[in-house]
Amino acid sequence: MFVPCGESAPDLAGFTLLMPAVSVGNVGQLAMDLIISTLNMSKIGYFYTDCLVPMVGNNPYATAEGNSTELSINAEVYSLPSRKLVALQLRSIFIKYKSKPFCEKLLSWVKSSGCARVIVLSSSHSYQRNDLQLRSTPFRYLLTPSMQKSVQNKIKSLNWEEMEKSRCIPEIDDSEFCIRIPGGGITKTLYDESCSKEIQMAVLLKFVSEGDNIPDALGLVEYLNEWLQIIKPLSDDPTASASRWKIPSSWRLLFGSGLPPALF
Amino acid sequence: MAATFFGEVVKAPCRAGTEDDEEEEEEEEEEGRRETPEDREVRQQLARKREVRLLRRQTKTSLEVSLLEKYPCSKFIIAIGNNAVAFLSSFVMNSGVWEEVGCAKLWNEWCRTTDTTHLSSSEAFCVFYHLKSNPSVFGSCPRKNMQITILTCRHVTDYKTSESTGSLPSPFLKALKTQNFKDSACCPLLEQPNIVHDLPAAVLSYCQVWKIPAVLYLCYTDVMKLDLITVEAFKPILSTRTLKGLVKNIPQSTEILKKLMTTNEIQSNIYT
Repeated sequence: MFVPCGESAPDLAGFTLLMPAVSVGNVGQLAMDLIISTLNMSKIGYFYTDCLVPMVGNNPYATAEGNSTELSINAEVYSLPSRKLVALQLRSIFIKYKSKPFCEKLLSWVKSSGCARVIVLSSSHSYQRNDLQLRSTPFRYLLTPSMQKSVQNKIKSLNWEEMEKSRCIPEIDDSEFCIRIPGGGITKTLYDESCSKEIQMAVLLKFVSEGDNIPDALGLVEYLNEWLQIIKPLSDDPTASASRWKIPSSWRLLFGSGLPPALF
Repeated sequence: MAATFFGEVVKAPCRAGTEDDEEEEEEEEEEGRRETPEDREVRQQLARKREVRLLRRQTKTSLEVSLLEKYPCSKFIIAIGNNAVAFLSSFVMNSGVWEEVGCAKLWNEWCRTTDTTHLSSSEAFCVFYHLKSNPSVFGSCPRKNMQITILTCRHVTDYKTSESTGSLPSPFLKALKTQNFKDSACCPLLEQPNIVHDLPAAVLSYCQVWKIPAVLYLCYTDVMKLDLITVEAFKPILSTRTLKGLVKNIPQSTEILKKLMTTNEIQSNIYT
């Protein structure tokens, strides 16, 4: 459930909700960190739930001594009212059998809070691509029918690739075709539920492999930026990408502590 | 899938923890159509077995109301793990008379016993005590003024730092506090990017969300079994506002701690 930081719940009517799916490479979550950090979004509340593994730590977006000691938990909500953006960040994995209840609670909050639309940032296993997908851009999008009505033209102008349908059961030749997002966590569930509940939802994903997924996250935020124009559009120089997004201080030591000098 | 340098293709574990989940859920959906009443009954029984139950300690009957309603308190101290519990038993509970008021029993598939009613003292469980003499601890103050202190240990290799963890002066203490905890901690706060999970994180999350002042004292140590040096690393906490009034006799506490160590020491011998 949503619990505001302050005394009353903020008015989110007409806002765009950005959220990650806990998926392969944690790309959606890394992308959300970049967005929250770059836009300096302020925390407006918590999504308190027993569906995620508990975790706490000090402010992951700390920039100075003064703001480094605010406690953060596993699911928090940030907002940027000037751009009508609200962001949900998920920082841990789902407890077994709790991902579906979470989706239900989340979507009911989306409806009750009055958010206009939801954009889910996600990823899918790159090894599951078919031949055509291997030769094209690694980014894909998906829109629910109600979202299609409002943004179809804009998306068409961006020349984006829609997520293709694939065999429901890959091993069986005559099985039906459907949308599959292997490694995407709750992405498919969120998409299906939003379709049936007529929620305006877009899924933006990238085909990735586990590893150092920071470049994948940068790629995904740039992809989102082509549409939402969160920050200044990219010039022709692709190397400028990394410096436009503010890397949060919590991304230090992503691959562990320092090494003992005696090793060498 | 990932290709290794040796030319083999292996299934790489997914950090996002989604692999098993997806398959399980799909299976669940399919099985849902074929699930018999017996399957449903088994699932429900398992869910009931896994519920956490609060019991009156002596009589083992259930507590009808929540513990904090029956014994409202202003200071709630939780120790998680053998070293934290040893510290609390020797230094805090040694001063004054503490009465057992209840315990929490729980079972899940990870427990080695199948009997949920008679857990022996060596198995994981939780006992609640209240200070008989001092009404402000588990006393009659309203819940709003409650302050929570959590003590626990972690292995030093869990601590992320730019130096090597081998060079750290373990054991050492770090703290995490909620927004409403206005006192200062007796040790440095846990720096980014370190995090805490499990029960201490669950308690702290609850307190942060519901604006309850709470502080977690985390001892990073390289010895996870009961160890004198690790327990003594918690000593700075005795000077905090919460524990100051509770601890009377420190030298006696140290003696009690030493006794606890010797009774728990197993003669380490490769033949046993």
